[in-house]
Amino acid sequence: MRKVLAIITLVIILLIPTFLFDGIMPSIGDPNSAPNTHVSDYYIENSVEMTNSPNMVTGILADFRGFDTMFETTVMFLAGLGAVLILSNRPNIKKRFIIPRNYIKQRPNIGAPRYKTINKDVMITLFEPLMMIYAAYVYFHGEISLGGGFQAGAVLGLAYIIDVMIVPGRRKKLFALDKGNALSIGGIGTFIYALTGILTMTGGGLCLEYDKLPFGLSHAESHSAGILMIELGVTICVMATIITILNAIMGRVRFDDDPIKRREDA
Amino acid sequence: MTSLETFLAAKGIYFLTFLLLFLGLYGMITCGNYMKKLICMNIMQVAVIFIFLCLAQKDGGTIPVLFSNLRNAEDYINPLPHALMLTAIVVSMGTTGVGLALLTRIKEKYGSIEEDEIIERENK
Amino acid sequence: MPSLFLEAVLLLILIGITLTIIFGKDLLTVTIVYCSFSFVTMFLYIVMGAPDVAFTEAVIGVVSTIYFIMTLKTIRRHTK
Repeated sequence: MRKVLAIITLVIILLIPTFLFDGIMPSIGDPNSAPNTHVSDYYIENSVEMTNSPNMVTGILADFRGFDTMFETTVMFLAGLGAVLILSNRPNIKKRFIIPRNYIKQRPNIGAPRYKTINKDVMITLFEPLMMIYAAYVYFHGEISLGGGFQAGAVLGLAYIIDVMIVPGRRKKLFALDKGNALSIGGIGTFIYALTGILTMTGGGLCLEYDKLPFGLSHAESHSAGILMIELGVTICVMATIITILNAIMGRVRFDDDPIKRREDA
Repeated sequence: MTSLETFLAAKGIYFLTFLLLFLGLYGMITCGNYMKKLICMNIMQVAVIFIFLCLAQKDGGTIPVLFSNLRNAEDYINPLPHALMLTAIVVSMGTTGVGLALLTRIKEKYGSIEEDEIIERENK
Repeated sequence: MPSLFLEAVLLLILIGITLTIIFGKDLLTVTIVYCSFSFVTMFLYIVMGAPDVAFTEAVIGVVSTIYFIMTLKTIRRHTK
């Protein structure tokens, strides 16, 4: 069965260049092709005046198509919730903690670094604040240069992952989030996004119509404020989802580095 | 434009991208290991993103960040597929996380992640 | 456009990496090769003129690789 499917796949690959590409797909780089003409011209020409963001990708992502991005953020939150719910049963304790004999023999006390010459703690302590400052830079300058909420959230999640790598017990963690707290912070991020839509509706406009924000700002200022608010929600949600999935997978890690034990298992 | 460039623009890049897509599909069909199936699923996602970004390219256009002296639509690359694909990449990370959580559960329940071993154990 | 040649070369590199992933036996090797796949992908996005997507891919590729390596601690490393 599997080989028949593989052969069918190969035949499809060989048939594609003869049939599919004769006039169906547009030539690459053609300025007059269908995807490059109708609505994207309108977006490019009016993005700066209407959304006050020189980076057009952020303008489309957060302003023209903000409703789309709201449910993408919800999908991220639901992915974290799904990972926690799938791994929510209690594992068999005897299966999880295998005494790693050789591992202990090489390192008399677990937790001490094996390589004394490289001090991982000091490096990470120096590195973490720089990463968080960079994440703040990416978040605040998302509408001027490259970046935005998704990237800032992912960089913050990477800072947490580096923080987890420190040997436990040496130093207090920069920020510690366990499974439930991380998940609820993801929900708060999604709620901030939805709250922006509700605020514009109380001002008398449609959902995510930033001109009607009830702060008494001008056109340009209100659009910048709205984009910053929803990107704050996206940042918090993405960061919390990364930490949630990391914690859910890390709760099941087995220490079976012992080759003797592995041979008995297999 | 030389003839090779015309061929690449009309057929070549599309053919290589579709080859990548079907190689991912081939890997998902033939690999028995569930983790390699997940990696091949990620490769298929990357190929789909390539197709969208191929449609966005424009001759003589720069990246879609505003320059002070350029105002026309033909001076910039089409930013709409970029905005759509940016969220697709982030969501692909979420699906990878859920898939790995399912993988961990399968390993705990059946003791293996090879497809034929699991089918053998079910039929016993 | 001269960048079409560069795109074709990078796509050929990606196809080679994909073949390595499909026929590899050691799962740790496969995961590390997938990390290099995401890096070449990031370079291809920059050549295509999408620096925002490239930035996202650079960060998300690292996170995905960390997830894969952490799952490798719970499962066996060698495949059939």
